[in-house]
Amino acid sequence: MKQVSVTLSTYTADVSGVCSALYELGGMVVIHDPSGCNSTYNTHDEPRWYDMDSLVFISGLSQMDAIMGNDDKFINDIVRAAKELKPCFIALVRTPIPLMTGTDFEGIARVIEKQTQIPVFYFPTSGMQSYVSGAGMALETVARELVLPTNANGHFKENGIEIENVSNELSVAYTKKKNQQKLNQSEQKQIENTESKQSNSKIKINILGATPLDFSVNSTLDSIKEFLSKHFEIISTFAMGSSIEDIQKAGEADVNLVISSVGFPAAKVLEERFSTPYVIGTPVKGFAGIIAEKLIDAAWTGKSQAAYFSVTSSGKSISRATNGIYIIGESVISQSLKAAMALKQGIDATVICPLETEPEYIGENVLLFSSEEEIKAAIAEAKTVIADPIYKTICADETNFIALPHEAFSGRIYRKEIPNLMEWVTI
Amino acid sequence: MIKIAVYGKGGIGKSTTVSNVAAVFASQGLRVMQIGCDPKADSTVLLRHGEKVETVLDLVRTRKENFTLEEMVKEGFAGVCCVEAGGPSPGLGCAGRGIIAALEILEKKGAYEKYRPDVVIYDVLGDVVCGGFSMPMRRGYADKVFVITSGENMAIHAAANIAMAVENFKDRGYAQLGGLILNRRNVKNEDAKVEELAEDIHSKVIGTLSRSALVTDAEEQKKTVIEAYPDSEMAEEYRILAGKIRTLCEI
Repeated sequence: MKQVSVTLSTYTADVSGVCSALYELGGMVVIHDPSGCNSTYNTHDEPRWYDMDSLVFISGLSQMDAIMGNDDKFINDIVRAAKELKPCFIALVRTPIPLMTGTDFEGIARVIEKQTQIPVFYFPTSGMQSYVSGAGMALETVARELVLPTNANGHFKENGIEIENVSNELSVAYTKKKNQQKLNQSEQKQIENTESKQSNSKIKINILGATPLDFSVNSTLDSIKEFLSKHFEIISTFAMGSSIEDIQKAGEADVNLVISSVGFPAAKVLEERFSTPYVIGTPVKGFAGIIAEKLIDAAWTGKSQAAYFSVTSSGKSISRATNGIYIIGESVISQSLKAAMALKQGIDATVICPLETEPEYIGENVLLFSSEEEIKAAIAEAKTVIADPIYKTICADETNFIALPHEAFSGRIYRKEIPNLMEWVTI
Repeated sequence: MIKIAVYGKGGIGKSTTVSNVAAVFASQGLRVMQIGCDPKADSTVLLRHGEKVETVLDLVRTRKENFTLEEMVKEGFAGVCCVEAGGPSPGLGCAGRGIIAALEILEKKGAYEKYRPDVVIYDVLGDVVCGGFSMPMRRGYADKVFVITSGENMAIHAAANIAMAVENFKDRGYAQLGGLILNRRNVKNEDAKVEELAEDIHSKVIGTLSRSALVTDAEEQKKTVIEAYPDSEMAEEYRILAGKIRTLCEI
């Protein structure tokens, strides 16, 4: 019965995660589904739905389409819409029905691409994973397919390899990727970094992993960008508040900042393609300064690192450990809050992460629990729990509960209460 | 690595032919992986002297993903890597979806990278009745599709359906039709009927196998003809067929 949630909600699923990550990039997202996935997305998972236009559709898959395998209808509808709307790219998103019928999305993508001459990406979501998985694979594809080779003195390079005949068209990155050659370019990157610093310009960064599912649409991201822009030049943010043109230039960054687990896959792709190191951590109040330091360090050394490890794993900065404090939520944000508490108050909180994350970036006192039963048992004697308000239902009466609403968990219910993480003080 | 899918009507002799061809390839020094795509899970029995391979889907059903490649891939005659996709109990579940799941698991577990076969042969059951059974011919899987048929009408009908599926999916980058293999049942005008089919589907008959009691004898010994009667004329027919496939697939 471990997967049964009696009182807790479920996290936003991978299908909505893809849509959320791609929402602002000018593509056309098609969920292959009867309709339910779209209404879940626009009603519960997408705060930008009524304020910002985006091409997110459902295919209207019917029972007979599923039985008969009417792929042509799906293909023709997309081709017709794409020719009229002219999106930058087309994203096909799988849901449980085509998963079960074994729809050949790779083949369909190939046909649509041939007919429209627009890049088509397929996201093998299942509706069974969380938004971290879906948004992660979407941003990974953005990093792999839409970011252009870097332009150095008119020559386009990727991993130090010069690429011929590159025009400034979006599709170029897509077609060129097939011929990518791998080369360990870390030394050259370090030289370039050194030259970059010597020219006295700001270190260039991308912010990876920004979606409303983790950061809502309040002032948090603006504050993070305002803070970072004092020290760095922000090339792009994957993927809120940046145009597709900004995203295309992401390969120029000296270092990337992963502010949620959603950004991990994209960071790894950009490291692979451009030898760009990454730093993991969310600039929350009391921890942002460390992140700035680590970004500078990574830009110089070329080494990827989790900023919170310097605080929470070594234990050196924690003067007095206090048991019984739990933070429940997404891995990177929660570990950053834990680091902020350790730095400011010397408190060693325990993080409970119910979502997918990278095992190599899990620090000490982080529990990977996903079931209500496990989480409830873990916090049974907690003195303080910091979590989305829905978690209060499984806390003991005497537990001090501090609400930190999470859009991907409670949707719009507590949206107005979601704090600006750059201003929020936990305890 | 060349990947081949072999289709044809149920009972036409796919597994027997595929196993003998795999045995020839392996005897010639090629690293071969034979993947049975049939819930019956008996594609590779002749390569393993009747000993069954635990199917991919049975492993998943009982162990989720907590099993190793070695438990899924078993060695057969002359080192052929034998895999059986498996499937649901008869009358239950979805066999086509099972094939998709099994092939995805094989890929996810890194079977092709670890065993590095020169040739992968998918032995696919019956007709292309749903998306699952077309999986082995999808992009990334087989490069060439060969269809086994006799001169019997139902076998020819099934072969025509399979050829049509390959043609319908050419825009999707699916496998190309490599040709027909005539497995004789000695029906009237058999060669002419199969030649006519080949012409209709713009293909060729790339090999012919005689109806031979040695095939049944070898099966009773739970062996391929190549192993049981290596010097027989039938074994030579399999070698000729294997040679033709090697030439067509540039193996």
